[in-house]
Amino acid sequence: MPDLITPVLTKGIGELDLRDIAVYRAQGGYEQWRRAVTALAPQDVAAICNGSNLRGRGGAGFPTGRKWSFLPNNGRPRYMVCNCDEAEPGTFKDRMLLEETPHQIIEGILIGAYAIGCTHAYIYIRGEFKRGYQAMRDAVAQARAAGFIGGDVFGSGKSFELTIHRGAGAYICGEETGLLNSLEGKRGEPRLKPPFPAIKGLYGEPTVVNNVETLAYLPYIMRNGAEWFAKAGPERSPGFKVVSISGHVRKPGNYEVALGTTIRQLIYDCAGGLRPGRTFMGVQPGGGSSACLFEEHLDVSYDFDSVVKAGSMLGSGAMVVFDDTTDFVKAAYALIRFFSHESCGQCTPCREGGHWLQRTLERILDGRGVDSDIDVIASAAHQLTGLNLCALGDSIEPFLASVITRYESQFRAYIKSNDAVPVAP
Amino acid sequence: MSVTVAQAGLVTLSIDGVEVRVPKGTLLVEAAKTIHTDIPVYCYHEKLGPAGLCRICLVEIEGMPKLQIACNTEVADGMKVHTRNARVDDGRRAILEFFLLNHPLDCPICDKGGECDLQDYAMAWGQGASRMLEPKMPKPKAVDLGPTIVLDEERCIVCQRCVRFDQIITREDSLRTDDRGAHTIIATATGKPYVSDFTGNVTELCPVGALTSKTYRFRSRPWDNHRTTTSCTQCSVGCQMHVDERDNTLLRTMSVAEDDALSDAWLCDRGRYNIGFVGDERRIASPLLKVDGAWNQIAREDAIALWASKITEALAQGGPARVGVIGGGRLLNEEILLAAQLHRALGIENLDHRVGMQTIVHHDGFANHVDLEGANTIVTLGRPPSQLAPILDLRIRKAVSRNGARLISVGDYYAGSFVPETHVTTAEQLKAALGEQPGRVAIIWDGVFFEGGPELTAPMHDLPQAERVDRYVLPESPNGRGADALGLRPRDGGLDTRGMLAAARDGELSVLAILGADPMLRFPDRALVEAALRNVPFVVVTDLFLTETAEFANLVLPVCSAFEKTGTTTDLAGDVLPVVGAVRVPEGVVADGDLIVELAERLGVALPLPEAMQEQILRLVRTLPAPPGAPPYLRKTAAVPGALRVVPETTIFTGGGTLAFDPRIAELRTGARATIHPDDARSLQLSDGDRVDAVGAHGTRLRDLAVRIDPRVAAGAVALVDGIVAAPLNALGDAASVTLEKAAVLA
Repeated sequence: MPDLITPVLTKGIGELDLRDIAVYRAQGGYEQWRRAVTALAPQDVAAICNGSNLRGRGGAGFPTGRKWSFLPNNGRPRYMVCNCDEAEPGTFKDRMLLEETPHQIIEGILIGAYAIGCTHAYIYIRGEFKRGYQAMRDAVAQARAAGFIGGDVFGSGKSFELTIHRGAGAYICGEETGLLNSLEGKRGEPRLKPPFPAIKGLYGEPTVVNNVETLAYLPYIMRNGAEWFAKAGPERSPGFKVVSISGHVRKPGNYEVALGTTIRQLIYDCAGGLRPGRTFMGVQPGGGSSACLFEEHLDVSYDFDSVVKAGSMLGSGAMVVFDDTTDFVKAAYALIRFFSHESCGQCTPCREGGHWLQRTLERILDGRGVDSDIDVIASAAHQLTGLNLCALGDSIEPFLASVITRYESQFRAYIKSNDAVPVAP
Repeated sequence: MSVTVAQAGLVTLSIDGVEVRVPKGTLLVEAAKTIHTDIPVYCYHEKLGPAGLCRICLVEIEGMPKLQIACNTEVADGMKVHTRNARVDDGRRAILEFFLLNHPLDCPICDKGGECDLQDYAMAWGQGASRMLEPKMPKPKAVDLGPTIVLDEERCIVCQRCVRFDQIITREDSLRTDDRGAHTIIATATGKPYVSDFTGNVTELCPVGALTSKTYRFRSRPWDNHRTTTSCTQCSVGCQMHVDERDNTLLRTMSVAEDDALSDAWLCDRGRYNIGFVGDERRIASPLLKVDGAWNQIAREDAIALWASKITEALAQGGPARVGVIGGGRLLNEEILLAAQLHRALGIENLDHRVGMQTIVHHDGFANHVDLEGANTIVTLGRPPSQLAPILDLRIRKAVSRNGARLISVGDYYAGSFVPETHVTTAEQLKAALGEQPGRVAIIWDGVFFEGGPELTAPMHDLPQAERVDRYVLPESPNGRGADALGLRPRDGGLDTRGMLAAARDGELSVLAILGADPMLRFPDRALVEAALRNVPFVVVTDLFLTETAEFANLVLPVCSAFEKTGTTTDLAGDVLPVVGAVRVPEGVVADGDLIVELAERLGVALPLPEAMQEQILRLVRTLPAPPGAPPYLRKTAAVPGALRVVPETTIFTGGGTLAFDPRIAELRTGARATIHPDDARSLQLSDGDRVDAVGAHGTRLRDLAVRIDPRVAAGAVALVDGIVAAPLNALGDAASVTLEKAAVLA
């Protein structure tokens, strides 16, 4: 097992107090920021990132270098926004990084900002992350005192600002345009695209929104070279990933591995496998929005493309493992209720469809289901997918559909009488 | 922003197999219209642009895996679009199913029934029965959003057109969505009532029956209404307007979607809601003659004969100088022309339509409403469009917010347009604000002269560096520009309104006709009006109601409202617009024009025939006016030491005529108020909502005014609203200053 774990971002966590800038610097911290600002042109930094084939760690897995390349050369100010609104059910990697190693996030943000020609970056922190916010606030103060943020960084004559913004507790603000609205002080609702943030983002200017983990890898890619990163894991899906593993495993936690590790290795070798005497029933490989994978998928390579091929997605890299004590109706209901509650309410399928599914599942769990419910649920979930303004609506179906197909009997078991007219209690 | 033509150049695509060529940048939903293919929409609106919320406008585009929304997809060369096929229909069916899950089935009692997009599309794509077994979510059915609008939350489909209207068009940001998910509702941002001069538009934008007007709720079904299209005659903008009538009762007015030129497809709330007076029982039903201080009904022939004989007597005794006519700015072009020609035929030159503060009602140009949108620099001087011509103010908001125009307000008045403005109070500031490159300039003035005006406005008199200068004047009366051009203005030594009133006071006038005007409320010196009306042997007034002015008359003749007669009116840009009667005239009532014709017959004066009249009207309104003589009213701008300088303001909801006679919109009428600067509030120890009396130079007192504090009123000044019956500003006379005293509290 020790071979599987490849600490990069997680190195030193639990051993060193990396929140202390002196400790971070003793590990070589902020040297890459110095190098970027004093020795490299922005396009050189971008080229290094591009060469690493780094893909976004927030959920969509979009190539980071390409995302940066969409920015127009129109002479307008540009913004780098670090998305630390981690709220995907099952995901807790950004929170750990934020609380334990805020300086590498700052360094990553600054390097990313420099690469895209931004002089004022923002980090949007989920409202509930109070400890993480405090850690970041203190770290920014330290970095500012050390002269890494502010005017004339490293005597380069260049100035860089980093503003911390706390969210107010809405899942939808993790969606990049919802985040931008929230950051601007508006209601946290996704924007209609196009225009995409690269063209018209924060305050209407070209903007890149990158995940915490994505940016945190930048100093290491700079230090070790693009090659080092690109060679770890599959060619099209390279590098390392902090995977949050939770659910029915013996050692839940964050495990940083090279992509390409199998799902089986992650569950059994990293997270210690299931509790004694329990049987594996399924795993959500990429957070609450991802479809459930089953026993036949255990040897699937955990990388962006392979998981999609298996019928799900890597998403934010959060595995939730289910054993045979799982009530999949309740599990599905918990997620549907979450999505329905977190729907911003702007667009119709998500707003209405999610709520319909939630109410129907509530009735089924209440013992008032009817036979036709199973088909209606599956059909309603399917028809609301692919029609939404943002990805939240499309997150409703995958898990429900996958478990209703696999474990239909569990749903049927709740439906006691056939064709009974449901009566509200 | 119906179609944004980003760059020149056409794009060819196919929609349902039909080749379409449209400008680059066109949205699919608009491209489809060119081949008369309607793509259903709820949240999209031509004037609001795409929002992508409702998702009903799904289409299939070959090569794209998912269905796309037509409202936010720009055309591209070679694009193959399908607006009707099994996949698209499935998508629309799904969206409609979602909409109808919780939408109440109260179509039979819903005002929108019969003109509801949800109803229509449900018929086209919906299913007969809901697959949802849960009961529909109950929500409040009649949320009072403000003085005009009621919200049915159950019916709302959260398309947010109302919210976006309030953000994009009016820029007032008073509406928003509250809560989220399935509980999302429309609410006011502040939690306070939805108050704006444009609220009624949201009821038209609402694609379902969620937002309704208090004046129309549960009054009728659309198929029972009979529709007429006319021009609004409540101000000088001339918005095109549909009038819906049933059983000879005016039920509602609606904007005209195609009217880009005048209304831009919106209506202000005055134009929309001030219609109830037409059917009010207090309308004068018969000519009234005052005998020994009491009103007696008389026959119209007798009334006309009396009027004619009084003119004849006056002419015989003292000549045409002893007859005068005031008013006419609310009449139609034809009526104005007849009135002017009749009196001129008798040698009478004492004709003036100007009863308010303004001297000039139109400037030397014909720049129109749309031209305003193209201006780079917009300057407002005097009472701005937000007070006198609200729909024109929406053009300013558009020019500034979307086209990047700069807005400069000069002197005592802010533009108040809910967009950034630069306010200047000195010539130097104005010069600096105009800058070296003002580009296209539009200057909007209320036509009122004031002390220090020439010096203050000097930088605008000549703008050689401007690309073009458009000058607009906002007439105080709806057809002021027509009245001015068509002859109701003194010429050849004739007296203006002030001159006539002074002559009347001094016993030099024998007959005074007041045509649809209320000088007792509007002329800047109320005492002069009263003295004049008391001293003229014969005053004849035409009006719908017994206004304060009419009460002073010897003879009152009831006349039609603009909803009851047909002809033309002239807008502030000098365009002649049609006015079409929508309801039958009350028994025994005729139009002002008919009275003039009957009077002419009695007096033996021949008037032009209708065809000749049209030719004259079109020619005269396009003729530039003679420069004005000395202003009949010069607004004073210096105060007595220790007193506050009076700045008269106007709102669209003032007046003692029509507006005072519809109890349903009583809440909309502007209350008597005194608005002062925060510094003065502090030194006078007044707070918002306090009640004060404004005391003028001669002890004249405007009682019980509500204090408002607004930094946009200059320090040392007080803004008082003109045209309020309970506290007529003109009672202060031409006095420029008042002191404020706390109103006595009644025990």
